[in-house]
Amino acid sequence: MSIEEGAKFVAAAYAVILAVVIAYYALSARRVSALQRDVELLKAEVEKREAAGSGD
Amino acid sequence: MKKLTSAPALFAAAGAFLVTGLLLAFLYAPVDASSMGFSQKIFYYHAPIAETALVAFGIAFVAAILYLRDPDPKWDRLSYVSVRLGLLFSVMVMITGMIWGKAAWDAWWAWEPRLTTFLIVCFLYTAYFVLRQVVEEESRRATYAAVFAIVAFIDVPITFFATRYMPEGLHPVVIRAGDSGMEGSMFLSFMISMAGMTLLLAALVRADVAAARLKDEIDDLKTRIGG
Repeated sequence: MSIEEGAKFVAAAYAVILAVVIAYYALSARRVSALQRDVELLKAEVEKREAAGSGD
Repeated sequence: MKKLTSAPALFAAAGAFLVTGLLLAFLYAPVDASSMGFSQKIFYYHAPIAETALVAFGIAFVAAILYLRDPDPKWDRLSYVSVRLGLLFSVMVMITGMIWGKAAWDAWWAWEPRLTTFLIVCFLYTAYFVLRQVVEEESRRATYAAVFAIVAFIDVPITFFATRYMPEGLHPVVIRAGDSGMEGSMFLSFMISMAGMTLLLAALVRADVAAARLKDEIDDLKTRIGG
């Protein structure tokens, strides 16, 4: 197999790895920021309810 | 010390090692003299990804044992995250392996020991997620998943040693005890890529465990709110 022919397969293999790793990293980062946002909202809600409960 | 093992630091270190490994593989290591020729360059990431996938399943196995000894949700989280990453790395191994197989053997797939046992690993750990989906009660789900992760791990050493004990397969045995099986420059490139891939796994495990912890915190807060 010539270097040119081999290079196509090598490029395809490394492109797959790069695409999978970047996609997974991006999805993870998005998921974490969404989870952090939810935690903050829920914590605020809990504090609000606890404050309302103690005021009764 | 904590800063050096934080997820961003690990990602940075992994990136540095992986880029260096890649540069060495293409600029320093020679083109393989065998029939594989230039397509052998796939090896420098393919083999480390395969080893790292098996390491991830090993972490899941150990965490599952620890969960059964001490049912702390942190072990279940670690086991779950490790299986997910092991499966992700396995998918990359299968795809890059098929591409390499087409280049080296002119076949996308062959029913030979290493490929077949690796495919079974993928199916087994896919079933792990099905199991987690069908069991609703949290502690039962974690216990069943731990038992499954332990049983599924049986196929991991079989996969690793398949090429050694079933040499009739197409996969060559490159590294043997006391013999790297390749030129010094090739071995250096391989080892640096291997270190990079291991650091990448560590970074992803750390980041995903943190995300899983956040998810548990959300469930806990929802319970407190009552919704």
